[in-house]
Amino acid sequence: MKKNLISTLLVTSILFACAIVAVSGRPAEGDIPLPPAIGATIADFTLPDANGKEHSLASLAGKNGSVLIFIAVQCPVSNAYNERMEKLAQDYKAKGINVIGINSNVAESADAVKAHAAEKHLTFTILKDAGNKVADRLGASVTPQAYFIDASNKLLYLGRIDNSKSAEGVTSSELRDALDATLAGKPITKTTANAFGCTIKRA
Amino acid sequence: MKLTRKLLWLGLVLSLMLGSSPVSAQSKRTATKSQPKISVAAIDADGLVAVLKRGATNNKPLLVNFWATWCDPCREEFPDLVKIDKQYRPQGLDFTAVSIDDLSEIETTVPQFLREMQVTVPTYLLNVSDPELAMSKVDPQWSGALPATFLYDAQGQLVYKRLGRIKVPELTEAIEKLLRSSESKVSSSGFAVSGSK
Repeated sequence: MKKNLISTLLVTSILFACAIVAVSGRPAEGDIPLPPAIGATIADFTLPDANGKEHSLASLAGKNGSVLIFIAVQCPVSNAYNERMEKLAQDYKAKGINVIGINSNVAESADAVKAHAAEKHLTFTILKDAGNKVADRLGASVTPQAYFIDASNKLLYLGRIDNSKSAEGVTSSELRDALDATLAGKPITKTTANAFGCTIKRA
Repeated sequence: MKLTRKLLWLGLVLSLMLGSSPVSAQSKRTATKSQPKISVAAIDADGLVAVLKRGATNNKPLLVNFWATWCDPCREEFPDLVKIDKQYRPQGLDFTAVSIDDLSEIETTVPQFLREMQVTVPTYLLNVSDPELAMSKVDPQWSGALPATFLYDAQGQLVYKRLGRIKVPELTEAIEKLLRSSESKVSSSGFAVSGSK
Protein backbone atom coordinates (compact mmCIF):
# COMPACT_ATOMS: atom_id res chain seq x y z
CA MET A 1 0.00 0.00 0.00
CA LYS A 2 2.79 2.37 1.10
CA LYS A 3 4.76 1.30 -1.99
CA ASN A 4 1.83 2.14 -4.24
CA LEU A 5 1.48 5.56 -2.64
CA ILE A 6 5.18 6.34 -3.17
CA SER A 7 4.99 5.19 -6.80
CA THR A 8 1.90 7.32 -7.40
CA LEU A 9 3.57 10.38 -5.86
CA LEU A 10 6.70 9.81 -7.91
CA VAL A 11 4.80 9.48 -11.21
CA THR A 12 2.68 12.54 -10.35
CA SER A 13 5.81 14.60 -9.60
CA ILE A 14 7.41 13.61 -12.89
CA LEU A 15 4.22 14.42 -14.82
CA PHE A 16 3.94 17.75 -13.00
CA ALA A 17 7.55 18.65 -13.81
CA CYS A 18 6.98 17.75 -17.48
CA ALA A 19 3.82 19.87 -17.53
CA ILE A 20 5.71 22.89 -16.15
CA VAL A 21 8.36 22.58 -18.86
CA ALA A 22 5.68 22.16 -21.55
CA VAL A 23 3.64 25.15 -20.35
CA SER A 24 6.60 27.50 -19.83
CA GLY A 25 8.16 26.51 -23.15
CA ARG A 26 11.59 26.96 -21.54
CA PRO A 27 14.29 24.86 -23.09
CA ALA A 28 16.41 22.67 -20.88
CA GLU A 29 19.05 24.72 -19.09
CA GLY A 30 22.01 25.37 -21.34
CA ASP A 31 20.11 24.49 -24.48
CA ILE A 32 19.87 27.52 -26.71
CA PRO A 33 16.89 27.94 -29.02
CA LEU A 34 17.71 28.22 -32.70
CA PRO A 35 17.64 31.76 -34.11
CA PRO A 36 14.93 32.77 -36.58
CA ALA A 37 15.61 32.12 -40.24
CA ILE A 38 16.83 34.95 -42.46
CA GLY A 39 13.70 36.63 -43.81
CA ALA A 40 11.65 35.91 -40.69
CA THR A 41 9.89 38.81 -39.01
CA ILE A 42 11.01 39.71 -35.51
CA ALA A 43 8.04 40.49 -33.28
CA ASP A 44 8.15 43.77 -31.36
CA PHE A 45 9.32 43.56 -27.76
CA THR A 46 9.78 45.90 -24.83
CA LEU A 47 12.77 45.98 -22.50
CA PRO A 48 14.11 48.48 -19.96
CA ASP A 49 17.37 50.33 -20.49
CA ALA A 50 20.01 50.49 -17.77
CA ASN A 51 18.07 53.31 -16.07
CA GLY A 52 14.91 51.24 -15.97
CA LYS A 53 13.12 53.19 -18.72
CA GLU A 54 11.07 50.90 -20.95
CA HIS A 55 11.63 50.94 -24.72
CA SER A 56 9.84 49.01 -27.43
CA LEU A 57 11.82 47.86 -30.44
CA ALA A 58 9.48 49.97 -32.59
CA SER A 59 10.30 53.10 -30.60
CA LEU A 60 14.06 52.64 -31.08
CA ALA A 61 14.07 51.46 -34.70
CA GLY A 62 15.62 53.59 -37.43
CA LYS A 63 13.65 54.47 -40.54
CA ASN A 64 15.84 52.09 -42.56
CA GLY A 65 16.18 49.41 -39.94
CA SER A 66 17.97 48.47 -36.75
CA VAL A 67 20.99 46.51 -35.64
CA LEU A 68 20.48 44.57 -32.42
CA ILE A 69 23.78 43.55 -30.86
CA PHE A 70 23.97 41.23 -27.89
CA ILE A 71 26.83 42.59 -25.82
CA ALA A 72 28.42 41.98 -22.44
CA VAL A 73 30.16 43.89 -19.70
CA GLN A 74 32.85 41.33 -18.92
CA CYS A 75 33.34 39.39 -22.15
CA PRO A 76 36.76 40.25 -23.60
CA VAL A 77 35.54 39.63 -27.15
CA SER A 78 32.54 41.94 -26.76
CA ASN A 79 34.80 44.52 -25.15
CA ALA A 80 37.25 44.26 -28.04
CA TYR A 81 34.39 45.53 -30.22
CA ASN A 82 33.35 48.52 -28.08
CA GLU A 83 34.97 51.14 -30.30
CA ARG A 84 33.84 49.42 -33.49
CA MET A 85 30.25 49.15 -32.23
CA GLU A 86 30.18 52.81 -31.24
CA LYS A 87 31.63 53.80 -34.62
CA LEU A 88 29.03 51.64 -36.35
CA ALA A 89 26.26 53.36 -34.38
CA GLN A 90 27.60 56.81 -35.27
CA ASP A 91 28.18 55.97 -38.94
CA TYR A 92 24.72 54.55 -39.60
CA LYS A 93 22.55 56.75 -37.38
CA ALA A 94 22.53 59.45 -40.04
CA LYS A 95 21.66 56.80 -42.62
CA GLY A 96 18.52 55.77 -40.74
CA ILE A 97 19.80 52.59 -39.11
CA ASN A 98 19.91 52.55 -35.32
CA VAL A 99 22.18 50.34 -33.24
CA ILE A 100 20.59 48.87 -30.10
CA GLY A 101 22.64 46.95 -27.57
CA ILE A 102 21.09 44.16 -25.53
CA ASN A 103 22.66 42.71 -22.41
CA SER A 104 21.15 39.32 -21.52
CA ASN A 105 23.85 38.08 -19.17
CA VAL A 106 22.24 37.08 -15.89
CA ALA A 107 25.37 37.96 -13.93
CA GLU A 108 25.53 41.55 -15.23
CA SER A 109 23.19 43.97 -13.48
CA ALA A 110 21.60 47.09 -14.97
CA ASP A 111 23.97 49.17 -12.84
CA ALA A 112 26.96 47.29 -14.24
CA VAL A 113 25.64 47.83 -17.77
CA LYS A 114 25.23 51.55 -17.10
CA ALA A 115 28.72 51.92 -15.60
CA HIS A 116 30.28 49.93 -18.43
CA ALA A 117 28.56 52.02 -21.12
CA ALA A 118 29.78 55.22 -19.45
CA GLU A 119 33.32 53.91 -19.05
CA LYS A 120 33.55 52.66 -22.64
CA HIS A 121 31.76 55.68 -24.13
CA LEU A 122 28.94 53.66 -25.65
CA THR A 123 26.24 56.15 -26.59
CA PHE A 124 23.72 53.87 -28.27
CA THR A 125 20.78 52.55 -26.23
CA ILE A 126 21.52 49.39 -24.29
CA LEU A 127 18.60 47.32 -23.06
CA LYS A 128 18.73 44.96 -20.11
CA ASP A 129 17.18 41.62 -20.97
CA ALA A 130 16.63 40.19 -17.50
CA GLY A 131 15.41 36.62 -17.81
CA ASN A 132 16.90 36.54 -21.33
CA LYS A 133 13.46 36.42 -22.95
CA VAL A 134 14.64 38.34 -26.02
CA ALA A 135 17.87 36.32 -26.22
CA ASP A 136 15.75 33.16 -26.17
CA ARG A 137 13.34 34.52 -28.76
CA LEU A 138 16.19 35.46 -31.08
CA GLY A 139 18.30 32.39 -30.32
CA ALA A 140 21.21 34.57 -29.28
CA SER A 141 24.01 32.52 -27.79
CA VAL A 142 27.18 34.56 -27.91
CA THR A 143 28.52 38.06 -27.40
CA PRO A 144 28.89 39.99 -29.56
CA GLN A 145 26.19 38.75 -31.92
CA ALA A 146 24.39 41.06 -34.35
CA TYR A 147 20.92 40.97 -35.91
CA PHE A 148 20.16 43.40 -38.72
CA ILE A 149 16.46 43.91 -39.33
CA ASP A 150 14.87 46.18 -41.88
CA ALA A 151 12.17 48.80 -41.21
CA SER A 152 9.49 46.10 -41.19
CA ASN A 153 11.47 43.97 -38.71
CA LYS A 154 12.50 41.40 -41.32
CA LEU A 155 15.76 39.68 -40.37
CA LEU A 156 18.34 40.40 -43.08
CA TYR A 157 21.64 39.46 -41.44
CA LEU A 158 22.65 37.46 -38.38
CA GLY A 159 26.05 36.85 -36.87
CA ARG A 160 29.38 38.51 -36.33
CA ILE A 161 30.34 42.14 -36.75
CA ASP A 162 33.51 41.22 -38.64
CA ASN A 163 36.02 38.41 -38.83
CA SER A 164 38.53 39.45 -36.18
CA LYS A 165 38.51 40.13 -32.44
CA SER A 166 41.50 42.36 -33.03
CA ALA A 167 40.66 45.49 -35.05
CA GLU A 168 44.00 45.19 -36.88
CA GLY A 169 43.10 41.72 -38.17
CA VAL A 170 39.82 42.68 -39.83
CA THR A 171 39.69 41.57 -43.43
CA SER A 172 35.93 41.22 -43.83
CA SER A 173 33.13 43.28 -42.29
CA GLU A 174 29.99 41.29 -42.96
CA LEU A 175 27.66 43.45 -40.85
CA ARG A 176 28.70 46.70 -42.52
CA ASP A 177 28.53 44.99 -45.92
CA ALA A 178 24.94 43.94 -45.15
CA LEU A 179 23.97 47.46 -44.08
CA ASP A 180 25.62 49.07 -47.10
CA ALA A 181 24.04 46.62 -49.53
CA THR A 182 20.58 47.21 -48.07
CA LEU A 183 20.98 50.99 -48.13
CA ALA A 184 22.07 50.72 -51.77
CA GLY A 185 19.05 48.56 -52.57
CA LYS A 186 21.24 45.56 -53.37
CA PRO A 187 20.96 41.97 -52.09
CA ILE A 188 23.16 41.01 -49.15
CA THR A 189 25.94 38.68 -50.30
CA LYS A 190 26.49 36.98 -46.96
CA THR A 191 23.46 36.82 -44.65
CA THR A 192 25.09 34.88 -41.81
CA ALA A 193 28.64 34.64 -40.47
CA ASN A 194 29.97 33.35 -37.18
CA ALA A 195 32.89 34.12 -34.91
CA PHE A 196 34.09 33.03 -31.51
CA GLY A 197 32.73 34.85 -28.50
CA CYS A 198 31.51 34.42 -24.94
CA THR A 199 28.44 32.36 -24.16
CA ILE A 200 25.48 34.41 -22.92
CA LYS A 201 24.95 33.39 -19.32
CA ARG A 202 21.24 32.70 -18.97
CA ALA A 203 19.00 32.86 -15.92
CA MET B 1 106.31 23.28 -29.18
CA LYS B 2 104.17 26.39 -29.16
CA LEU B 3 101.86 24.72 -31.65
CA THR B 4 101.59 21.61 -29.49
CA ARG B 5 100.71 23.72 -26.44
CA LYS B 6 98.11 25.62 -28.46
CA LEU B 7 96.59 22.34 -29.66
CA LEU B 8 96.53 21.03 -26.10
CA TRP B 9 94.69 24.16 -24.92
CA LEU B 10 92.27 23.90 -27.82
CA GLY B 11 91.64 20.25 -27.01
CA LEU B 12 91.04 21.10 -23.37
CA VAL B 13 88.59 23.88 -24.23
CA LEU B 14 86.76 21.67 -26.73
CA SER B 15 86.53 18.77 -24.31
CA LEU B 16 85.17 21.11 -21.65
CA MET B 17 82.61 22.49 -24.09
CA LEU B 18 81.53 19.06 -25.29
CA GLY B 19 81.59 17.71 -21.80
CA SER B 20 79.50 20.52 -20.45
CA SER B 21 76.68 20.13 -22.97
CA PRO B 22 75.19 16.93 -21.58
CA VAL B 23 75.54 18.36 -18.08
CA SER B 24 73.52 21.44 -18.97
CA ALA B 25 70.95 19.38 -20.84
CA GLN B 26 70.68 17.11 -17.85
CA SER B 27 70.21 20.05 -15.52
CA LYS B 28 67.55 21.44 -17.88
CA ARG B 29 65.78 18.10 -17.80
CA THR B 30 65.96 18.08 -14.02
CA ALA B 31 64.60 21.61 -13.86
CA THR B 32 61.66 20.79 -16.08
CA LYS B 33 60.90 17.48 -14.41
CA SER B 34 58.73 19.12 -11.78
CA GLN B 35 57.11 21.37 -14.40
CA PRO B 36 56.54 19.25 -17.49
CA LYS B 37 56.86 21.13 -20.76
CA ILE B 38 53.49 21.67 -22.41
CA SER B 39 53.66 21.75 -26.15
CA VAL B 40 50.79 23.51 -27.91
CA ALA B 41 50.68 23.02 -31.67
CA ALA B 42 49.23 25.72 -33.92
CA ILE B 43 46.73 24.34 -36.42
CA ASP B 44 44.66 25.81 -39.23
CA ALA B 45 41.22 24.65 -40.40
CA ASP B 46 42.71 21.65 -42.23
CA GLY B 47 44.74 20.78 -39.16
CA LEU B 48 41.58 20.89 -37.07
CA VAL B 49 39.85 18.51 -39.48
CA ALA B 50 42.83 16.16 -39.18
CA VAL B 51 42.57 16.32 -35.37
CA LEU B 52 38.87 15.49 -35.53
CA LYS B 53 39.20 12.74 -38.13
CA ARG B 54 42.45 11.30 -36.75
CA GLY B 55 44.22 8.39 -38.35
CA ALA B 56 42.48 5.39 -39.83
CA THR B 57 44.03 3.26 -37.09
CA ASN B 58 42.54 5.28 -34.26
CA ASN B 59 39.13 3.90 -33.46
CA LYS B 60 38.53 5.57 -30.11
CA PRO B 61 35.75 8.00 -29.26
CA LEU B 62 37.02 11.57 -29.02
CA LEU B 63 36.12 14.41 -26.66
CA VAL B 64 37.13 17.88 -27.93
CA ASN B 65 36.96 21.04 -25.86
CA PHE B 66 37.31 24.53 -27.38
CA TRP B 67 38.47 27.09 -24.86
CA ALA B 68 40.40 30.31 -24.37
CA THR B 69 42.38 31.78 -21.50
CA TRP B 70 40.14 34.88 -21.57
CA CYS B 71 37.01 32.77 -21.19
CA ASP B 72 36.09 32.44 -17.51
CA PRO B 73 33.67 29.51 -17.83
CA CYS B 74 36.30 27.72 -19.95
CA ARG B 75 38.84 28.06 -17.15
CA GLU B 76 36.28 27.09 -14.53
CA GLU B 77 35.24 23.88 -16.25
CA PHE B 78 38.74 22.72 -17.18
CA PRO B 79 39.49 20.85 -13.92
CA ASP B 80 36.34 18.80 -14.52
CA LEU B 81 37.50 17.97 -18.04
CA VAL B 82 40.89 16.86 -16.70
CA LYS B 83 39.12 14.61 -14.19
CA ILE B 84 36.90 13.19 -16.93
CA ASP B 85 40.00 12.51 -19.05
CA LYS B 86 41.69 10.69 -16.17
CA GLN B 87 38.57 8.66 -15.48
CA TYR B 88 37.69 7.64 -19.04
CA ARG B 89 41.03 7.54 -20.89
CA PRO B 90 41.76 4.05 -19.48
CA GLN B 91 38.35 3.01 -20.82
CA GLY B 92 39.21 4.11 -24.35
CA LEU B 93 38.28 7.79 -24.60
CA ASP B 94 40.60 10.29 -26.26
CA PHE B 95 40.50 13.90 -25.16
CA THR B 96 41.97 16.95 -26.83
CA ALA B 97 41.80 20.66 -26.08
CA VAL B 98 41.80 23.36 -28.74
CA SER B 99 42.56 26.90 -27.65
CA ILE B 100 41.30 29.80 -29.71
CA ASP B 101 43.63 32.30 -28.06
CA ASP B 102 45.79 34.57 -30.17
CA LEU B 103 48.88 32.98 -31.69
CA SER B 104 51.01 35.36 -29.63
CA GLU B 105 49.95 33.41 -26.54
CA ILE B 106 51.00 29.98 -27.75
CA GLU B 107 54.14 29.98 -25.63
CA THR B 108 52.88 32.05 -22.71
CA THR B 109 49.41 32.08 -21.17
CA VAL B 110 48.10 29.01 -23.00
CA PRO B 111 50.76 26.49 -21.88
CA GLN B 112 50.91 28.21 -18.51
CA PHE B 113 47.24 27.49 -17.89
CA LEU B 114 47.49 23.95 -19.23
CA ARG B 115 50.48 23.33 -16.95
CA GLU B 116 48.45 24.58 -13.98
CA MET B 117 45.72 22.16 -14.97
CA GLN B 118 48.31 19.35 -15.29
CA VAL B 119 47.10 18.58 -18.77
CA THR B 120 48.89 15.71 -20.46
CA VAL B 121 46.76 15.34 -23.60
CA PRO B 122 47.53 16.77 -27.06
CA THR B 123 46.68 20.44 -27.12
CA TYR B 124 46.31 22.80 -30.05
CA LEU B 125 45.80 26.47 -30.80
CA LEU B 126 43.54 27.32 -33.70
CA ASN B 127 45.36 29.87 -35.84
CA VAL B 128 43.00 31.12 -38.53
CA SER B 129 42.31 34.60 -39.85
CA ASP B 130 38.64 33.75 -40.34
CA PRO B 131 37.24 31.30 -37.79
CA GLU B 132 34.06 30.51 -39.69
CA LEU B 133 35.43 27.73 -41.89
CA ALA B 134 36.99 25.94 -38.92
CA MET B 135 33.79 26.29 -36.90
CA SER B 136 31.69 24.88 -39.71
CA LYS B 137 33.97 21.83 -39.85
CA VAL B 138 33.16 21.12 -36.22
CA ASP B 139 29.44 21.91 -36.28
CA PRO B 140 27.69 24.07 -38.88
CA GLN B 141 25.21 25.21 -36.22
CA TRP B 142 27.91 26.42 -33.84
CA SER B 143 27.52 30.17 -33.30
CA GLY B 144 31.03 30.45 -31.85
CA ALA B 145 30.00 30.50 -28.19
CA LEU B 146 32.73 29.35 -25.82
CA PRO B 147 33.35 27.06 -24.10
CA ALA B 148 32.18 24.38 -26.49
CA THR B 149 32.56 20.66 -26.01
CA PHE B 150 31.96 18.01 -28.65
CA LEU B 151 31.92 14.23 -28.34
CA TYR B 152 32.58 12.10 -31.41
CA ASP B 153 32.14 8.36 -31.73
CA ALA B 154 34.84 6.07 -33.08
CA GLN B 155 33.61 6.69 -36.64
CA GLY B 156 33.98 10.46 -36.24
CA GLN B 157 30.25 11.16 -35.95
CA LEU B 158 29.22 13.94 -33.58
CA VAL B 159 27.11 12.33 -30.85
CA TYR B 160 26.96 15.03 -28.18
CA LYS B 161 27.69 18.74 -27.89
CA ARG B 162 27.53 21.31 -25.17
CA LEU B 163 27.79 25.05 -25.79
CA GLY B 164 28.60 26.82 -22.57
CA ARG B 165 29.95 25.32 -19.39
CA ILE B 166 29.74 21.54 -19.25
CA LYS B 167 27.39 19.72 -16.94
CA VAL B 168 29.50 16.88 -15.61
CA PRO B 169 26.69 14.34 -15.02
CA GLU B 170 25.26 15.01 -18.49
CA LEU B 171 28.65 14.69 -20.18
CA THR B 172 29.69 11.59 -18.28
CA GLU B 173 26.37 9.97 -19.12
CA ALA B 174 26.98 10.68 -22.82
CA ILE B 175 30.54 9.31 -22.57
CA GLU B 176 29.44 6.16 -20.76
CA LYS B 177 26.66 5.56 -23.26
CA LEU B 178 29.15 5.97 -26.10
CA LEU B 179 31.75 3.71 -24.49
CA ARG B 180 29.11 1.05 -23.83
CA SER B 181 27.98 1.22 -27.44
CA SER B 182 31.62 1.06 -28.64
CA GLU B 183 32.20 -2.00 -26.46
CA SER B 184 29.12 -3.75 -27.80
CA LYS B 185 30.18 -2.95 -31.36
CA VAL B 186 33.67 -4.32 -30.71
CA SER B 187 32.31 -7.46 -29.07
CA SER B 188 29.70 -7.99 -31.77
CA SER B 189 32.27 -7.49 -34.53
CA GLY B 190 34.58 -9.86 -32.63
CA PHE B 191 31.83 -12.46 -32.57
CA ALA B 192 31.18 -12.01 -36.28
CA VAL B 193 34.88 -12.48 -37.07
CA SER B 194 35.22 -15.56 -34.94
CA GLY B 195 31.92 -16.86 -36.30
CA SER B 196 33.08 -16.46 -39.90
CA LYS B 197 36.10 -18.62 -39.37
